[in-house]
Amino acid sequence: MRAFISSVYLFLYAPIALVVLFSFNAGRNASEFTGFSTAWYAKALSNTFLVSALQNSLIIAFTSAALAAVFGTMAALGMERLSSRMRALFDALFAAAIVVPGVVIGIATLVALVAVFSFVNPTIAALWPGDQPPRLGLGYGSIIAAHGLFSMALVAMIVKARIASLGRDIVEASSDLYATPLTTFRLIVLPQILPSILAGFLLAFTFSFDDFIIAFFVAGSKTTLPIYVFASIRRGVTPEINAIATLVLVASLLLILTARVLMREKKSKSGE
Amino acid sequence: MTKWYRDNAPITADRLADELMRLKRGSVTRRHFLGVTGLGLATAVLARQPGLFNSTAFAEELGTQMSIATWPNYHDPATFEAFTAATGVAVEVNVFGSNEEMLAKLQAGGTGWDLFVPTNYTISTYVKLGLIDELDMAKLPKYDASTENPRFTNEGIVDGKTYAVPKNWGTTGIAVNSSKIKTPVASWKDFFEVAMTEADGRTMVHDYQLTTIGNALVSLGFSFNSVKPEELAKAEELLIKVKPHLYAINSDYQPAMRATDAWMTMCWTNDGAQLNRDMPEIKFVLGKDGGEIWSDFYAIPNSAANKAAGYALLNYLMAPENAVKEHIANGAPTTDSRVMKLLPAEVTSNKIVYPDEAALTPLEFGAAVTLTDPGRAELMARFKAA
Amino acid sequence: MRAAMNTKRNLVTAALVAPAAAWLTVFLVLPFIAMLVFAFGERAPEGGYQVAFTFAQFANLPTRAAAFWNTLLLAPTGALLCLIVAYPVAYYLAVKANPRYRLILVSLVVVPFWTSLLVRTYAWMYILGSRGIPNLLSMIGIEDVRMLNTPGAVLLGIVYGYLPLMIMPIYVSLERLDRRLLEASADLGAKPVSTFFGVTLPLSLPGVMTGVALVTILLLGEYLIPQLLGGGKVFFIGNALVDLFLQSRNWPFGSAIAVTLVAVVVVVLMVAMRIAWRVAGTRQVDLV
Repeated sequence: MRAFISSVYLFLYAPIALVVLFSFNAGRNASEFTGFSTAWYAKALSNTFLVSALQNSLIIAFTSAALAAVFGTMAALGMERLSSRMRALFDALFAAAIVVPGVVIGIATLVALVAVFSFVNPTIAALWPGDQPPRLGLGYGSIIAAHGLFSMALVAMIVKARIASLGRDIVEASSDLYATPLTTFRLIVLPQILPSILAGFLLAFTFSFDDFIIAFFVAGSKTTLPIYVFASIRRGVTPEINAIATLVLVASLLLILTARVLMREKKSKSGE
Repeated sequence: MTKWYRDNAPITADRLADELMRLKRGSVTRRHFLGVTGLGLATAVLARQPGLFNSTAFAEELGTQMSIATWPNYHDPATFEAFTAATGVAVEVNVFGSNEEMLAKLQAGGTGWDLFVPTNYTISTYVKLGLIDELDMAKLPKYDASTENPRFTNEGIVDGKTYAVPKNWGTTGIAVNSSKIKTPVASWKDFFEVAMTEADGRTMVHDYQLTTIGNALVSLGFSFNSVKPEELAKAEELLIKVKPHLYAINSDYQPAMRATDAWMTMCWTNDGAQLNRDMPEIKFVLGKDGGEIWSDFYAIPNSAANKAAGYALLNYLMAPENAVKEHIANGAPTTDSRVMKLLPAEVTSNKIVYPDEAALTPLEFGAAVTLTDPGRAELMARFKAA
Repeated sequence: MRAAMNTKRNLVTAALVAPAAAWLTVFLVLPFIAMLVFAFGERAPEGGYQVAFTFAQFANLPTRAAAFWNTLLLAPTGALLCLIVAYPVAYYLAVKANPRYRLILVSLVVVPFWTSLLVRTYAWMYILGSRGIPNLLSMIGIEDVRMLNTPGAVLLGIVYGYLPLMIMPIYVSLERLDRRLLEASADLGAKPVSTFFGVTLPLSLPGVMTGVALVTILLLGEYLIPQLLGGGKVFFIGNALVDLFLQSRNWPFGSAIAVTLVAVVVVVLMVAMRIAWRVAGTRQVDLV
């Protein structure tokens, strides 16, 4: 049993170890280790396209996850108060947003946006007084919209499950004590659902940051990190990619550790 | 005289001389000088001439980055590094395995490319669809139409207007690792037979309808460019029969050939020359029964965000002293007699790069109809999904 | 007074759900309608879409039967392989592992998720390529083994990529399991094996079902793993879709396939839920 478990962990980590190892490769090739060097880290960080792809990915992941966290939570709270028929409709749409494959979401968004642009842009051009009418196109907006769809559904589902597990009596007690609904929300409900909102935000962020297939269709001329990596696989990977992947891994590990430490402190404080 | 013309009119000779003197005396800044004389762009050309201008002067005019769409292993990375050093413009290289893929990207909107490399047979369609602009030859002083071989340049000119200028020409042949495969391969008929026997599981075909379908057609005795349904049906039958024996369907076959994961592949001249240079056991042969001869061009998409940089890079690549380095590195034959003169003898005498005219006779240029023919597009997609 | 309160309550509710409703409408419902419309259209001569009303695209679906079968075969197979590897791991983590290290071990399962799947899959291209395992094999005299670009490589990539998604739900269901049931079973003289099959396994079935359904459904739309580890030869429907949009530029046919894929997902989901209900039902009977 032990041996099996160890080999599964080995299986999970061998490719990652390889990625990290080759980030310190002196040679240009990502397939033959010729000596130790940190040069690729410097190269990766001074590569404008790689850095801007990373920036784009961070901006898109943060924006879509934040919008999803706010709107998804609002929806989860609001759905409670809807008629059962409307609630079922929302449930179905959120479920659809989660189970419809990313490749279909990407295609559907592309098809719809191209169709919309094809008559919106000429209309704007006809009505615009100046020489250079603004043109709508694919880019940040379309990626955030498509990522936000999945993420919002994810947050709504998670938060809704948490709300369902909340005791109704505590909310009723609060209003019996003449607290306004807003106060009840702020002091009673929000603290209880906050961890699930955060969890939803993190999941959404991770999803968006790692998504390739949706962005592949709707990114237009914007390059996200996965799109950049995919393009590099085609033109020949240099250890720059390994370096940036290693940095992302280290950054996320640090984030998790910080979160763990903060949570532990909070727990021990509330325990006092 | 329109307002546009007045605003953009070239400066008069007198005024230029006057401004130049003022610049020399130091009474105006270089930036002012470049502004009034409209020479901002022209400095891109002068950048390599030592003296007068340094590289930062026109960085503002050209922006800081641009993007080019091209083919796998098709440039010397040093070329772009040198261009960046000279102009301050970083070049992002996007690689594609077929013209159809480039066209699909442009049709879906928003590629961000400022320069791309379409093949001869596609240009008339790009023009028809309004996806590329007529080139402003004034911005390409390093290009010289008179030194180009018209055999390879004519398809860049549509209705008398130049939409694209040639990068290089080449052929689509067969690369064989002779240490792994002993059966002689001299034709596309041999290629498909060996693929199912000695090179079983080790053969690659392009992810590209023109060459993969075209060479299958040739091996059956049909035209490379056929769009006749009954001939295409025969080609499909062959391709589907071969598919289980293939190593991969991918236009970037160099890595697999170098790693000897693959032993035989459809191969373009430039890749054949590069592979043979580094691994002499990999031979490059042209099909006796036919195949493709092609020329690749540079064109500027009309959706380009940074056309100035696109022109600057194109002009840089057209300068023979830069082009010659590209040709030595990438191994494709040149269309430009100025470059030919600069090439070392071991390149010009390389039969992979410059084969005898007799070997070229059975080859065909790709035809425009194959790009848009729905039958070929669907055949390729079916073959891959089979 | 009451009416006014109701109106206010309704306004608040509407304000709460409005952004999500708008988002779902504009970026889910409308695109899906657009795709449906496209699916009944025609390919424009140069590629893309042109207006028409035809069933030709749907009639052409059988030409992608192989890709559909590939997907419908390899997705559940991949999910089952995942399950076979994941179950012992989840069981170990939930039941056997030293509680002190449990959290770390569980986190270690999730950490790979934070490096790009693309980069990790690329690493597998290296491991399975000639310079990787085949090279090691040739050292012990086994020459010319080919691993990359085979269905096996794709399945391996799938197990690798989706393993954490399978381990987590099973782990959660096993962790919730009441230890006293296991003790009771042992006290009643049940052997460990029969305790496992009689108590542990049935109680972890909801987690197993969740994992299998989740991984299968995600795999139905997979593109990257077959693309990178299958060499463009092992085709999933996702690859056929990308091909139709980014190579052969047949938007209407691509839309028809996308619509069909959604239908397949819905059917698979319904089957999974049916099985889940049945499992849940029998479990209740067992417990009573």
